[in-house]
Amino acid sequence: MKINQMINRSTKFRVLSEDQIERIYFAALEVLERTGGMIYHDEALELFRDSHAVVKGNHVRVPPYMVEEALNFYPRKITLKGRNKQRSLHIQKNTVAYGTGSDLPFTYDRETGERRRTVYQDVNNAARLVDALSNYDFLMSHGIVSDAPNPQTYDRHQFMAMLEKCTKPMVLTSVDGEGLEDLWRMGCLVQGGEEEFRLNPLFVAYIEPISPLKNDRTAVEKLLFAAEKKLPAMYTPCPSSGATAPATIAGMLVQSLAETLMAMVLCHLKSPGTPLIMGGVTTLLDMKKSTYSYGAPELSLASAANTDISKWLNLLMFSTGGCTDAKIMDEQAAAEQMMSLFYAHLSGANLVHDVGYIDHGTNASLESLVLNQEMMGMVKQFGKGINTDKDHLALDLIEKVGPGGEYVTSDHTFDHWKEWFMPQLQDRSDYETWKANGSKTMLDRVKEKTNQLLNEYEPQPLDEKLEGELREVIRHADERHA
Amino acid sequence: MISRTNYTEQETPHFEILSDNQKERIFNGMMRTLQYTGANVHHEGARELFKKAGCKVDGLRVYFPPEVILNALSTVPVVTEVFPWDGDESKKITIEKKRSYFGPGPTPPNFIDPETLERRKYLRRDASLVARVCDALPNMGYVQSLGSISDVTNGLADVYEFADMLRNTTTPIMSWSFTREGCRDIHRMGVAMAGGEEAFRARPNYVFYGEPISPLVSDFHAIDKCIYCAENRIPQVYSPCAIGGGTVPASHAGQLVVALSESMVGVIASQLISPGTCVIIGGVQSILDMRFSVYSYGAPELSLLSAALTEMVHHCGLPMYSTAGCTDTKKMDMQSAMEASLSINAAMMSGANFVHDCGYTESGLTGDIFQTVMDDEIIGMARVVERGVEVSDETLGLDVIHNVGPGGHYLYEDHTMTHFRNHYMPTLMDRNSYESWKEEGSKTMKDRIIEKTRDLIENYEGPRAKVPEKVDAEIEKILQEAEERQKNQK
Repeated sequence: MKINQMINRSTKFRVLSEDQIERIYFAALEVLERTGGMIYHDEALELFRDSHAVVKGNHVRVPPYMVEEALNFYPRKITLKGRNKQRSLHIQKNTVAYGTGSDLPFTYDRETGERRRTVYQDVNNAARLVDALSNYDFLMSHGIVSDAPNPQTYDRHQFMAMLEKCTKPMVLTSVDGEGLEDLWRMGCLVQGGEEEFRLNPLFVAYIEPISPLKNDRTAVEKLLFAAEKKLPAMYTPCPSSGATAPATIAGMLVQSLAETLMAMVLCHLKSPGTPLIMGGVTTLLDMKKSTYSYGAPELSLASAANTDISKWLNLLMFSTGGCTDAKIMDEQAAAEQMMSLFYAHLSGANLVHDVGYIDHGTNASLESLVLNQEMMGMVKQFGKGINTDKDHLALDLIEKVGPGGEYVTSDHTFDHWKEWFMPQLQDRSDYETWKANGSKTMLDRVKEKTNQLLNEYEPQPLDEKLEGELREVIRHADERHA
Repeated sequence: MISRTNYTEQETPHFEILSDNQKERIFNGMMRTLQYTGANVHHEGARELFKKAGCKVDGLRVYFPPEVILNALSTVPVVTEVFPWDGDESKKITIEKKRSYFGPGPTPPNFIDPETLERRKYLRRDASLVARVCDALPNMGYVQSLGSISDVTNGLADVYEFADMLRNTTTPIMSWSFTREGCRDIHRMGVAMAGGEEAFRARPNYVFYGEPISPLVSDFHAIDKCIYCAENRIPQVYSPCAIGGGTVPASHAGQLVVALSESMVGVIASQLISPGTCVIIGGVQSILDMRFSVYSYGAPELSLLSAALTEMVHHCGLPMYSTAGCTDTKKMDMQSAMEASLSINAAMMSGANFVHDCGYTESGLTGDIFQTVMDDEIIGMARVVERGVEVSDETLGLDVIHNVGPGGHYLYEDHTMTHFRNHYMPTLMDRNSYESWKEEGSKTMKDRIIEKTRDLIENYEGPRAKVPEKVDAEIEKILQEAEERQKNQK
């Protein structure tokens, strides 16, 4: 043994110094007191009016001390549990969990290859893949259920499509406050009642402001509902640098943080202690193409910096990775998805979503989900760092083998090569073997694997009685909106 | 104006694998290995040199006491500069801690034919093609050939390669050779281009690459070339291709110990010959895939080991020769891209000095200039993260945020006009809407890479016409003399 040893058990990475983070935070406070934000919700305006905030019409400005007070009440840990209270996900500092994104309007049809609207079955399939693939920790819907009877209730159907085929915790989008309430009701049914749900929340509610600094009615409804029920939620701005946020990363982070803090104050006024997570998709508008870029390197950098800020604020972070602007599964998709996964992992973001997104977040691809399983595995392997204990230093072995010797046949090699990453999809055969096996590309192998999982993998089914009760909630919603 | 005090910036991101204690352990492991296990040196002159310096020599085996190692580490240069031969300062290389340059790699036997896209033997014409394409790529900071020429006189692939590359790029080249003779030919060309021996010493225009053999062996030619480079003050690499589970331990820490130790033999030799001469260590660090007995160039372990070794090498005060942009694929596909993307970003964060193998495919057996072109874009993207986030009053943009106000937009703001130019503009990554992408022919990235590469091959002339006639003649003369020598040896 040696005394006073500090060992890195993982890689370490940061973009901002503490001083820089503070400066961004102070700037965000200044935005809240000087520029303020718009709130389009009566109860919320009332809450602000009853506080020390300054309200003029829909315009709300908040003094710094209100923010600082609110920040003291946010939890540093949230535990999610999948249906049947299995597969828990501990969201806390320095843990990284991965999940899909949600609500992609289009899908490449697996039969025809044509691009079409995403439907219930597609979400069902994505849920099944996420349940099967070990590196996914949570599920977002991936696609949008466009064949629901009513766009006002599609969120309940979407949740059902997810629940049927996936036992992992989830992050859910909802149409409005009423929709979220139904989702929560369904969640309570799944976990065995409201109290059980509180201890074992099945999902986090995804809520977003409109950048810059605007909070519409439905977003605020959802926030207030989450605050009331202590339902885990996230308020995640999606600023596009240069269009809805400053063209500088620092400026985008300031604005995005101000948007988050505004929601933090609001939830605090409603009911202290809401499990609210910060986050966002912080990227830029491509000025040449006028598209919101999911593959830009700035997304990786800004997200990692944002994660630094979240840690300093003792808030949990919902970040972005594994996504691309490529329209199809090609080299661009792989390169961009890998890059953003890499930095999301290094930064230590708690929930990394949008894994598998292609085409600027408009197109769903099940193959992309399967490809990312492999890439997440590689990134996690990298993140393990280097073990430097006596056995791994292997000095005696080095002496025994000596110059010019070999290590293939030593027991030490046999013990340790199992620590390496074992690829499922990457090809490492020699040229002749590869050719003899049909010269397959990565895409060929990904397709095979996707087909295999969809044909063979059957997740634990939903309890029949429970399924009936869930459908009842949905039926009521459909009736209300008929 | 409020003044700021006690304010520290993370000007560029911080990345770290090993703690100080961990570095100490690996360093101590290297010291112990060199002292008690020693290394085999197949070169009598070198063994004499080591013996005179205080090493114990027993047959081929040399045992290095700590003072010999530490003395060598005390004389290595902190900063070395390498200059492009046309004096273009923008292509100057500064070798110092945490400053990265990316480039291709040396000597695979095969090459992807730019016309047919099929794999074939590497030919002489490929060397100038690689040099020319790399000359045009903004993120290739130095150049290697991506192959070993198969269609020249046996034993002269090294010399022809350098002769042709030197005349087709001003980006500094990293050369290699079979023996000291090739080394000398190459150096004469470098000197001719620099304008004489003294001019070369002041402004070296290439770096030499040599490698020991894992585990812990320096063969005759490796150490012989190392000595030649030291004598002539040629910046040189002395780094192994260590195979985890094959030629070094399967545990990463053990691999790092062996890789450092065997490289240190070259460091010590170079500093004994010529204290202060530049020597770079590192090498390819990866694992043997036990299922296929293939040395993997796409494994995440390559990225991890390379980044960790970079920390160790910098800890020793030496520059690092690292690896990235390479793949196990036989034909460019998504696997090439994901493997290159991981290794390039990891190498960038580690701050390795020379990052080679951009364009290696088929586990290092085939050079592919298309892969190099893809890597060039990925490097450009990784540089964005390397630059970090600037936090200043200007970038915080409180006034523009206030002026735009809630619900507004930033499109026409002066602040936006000034700063969006700093956004990375990709040349190969497609950011079209789905509709425009379809209109433009539904191209994959591979299609775009092929187009861009062929366009460069056809239309980019490179500096061939700028080579001074006198130098050109001198290079031809050196080639002729090398041919004579080879003939006489037969």
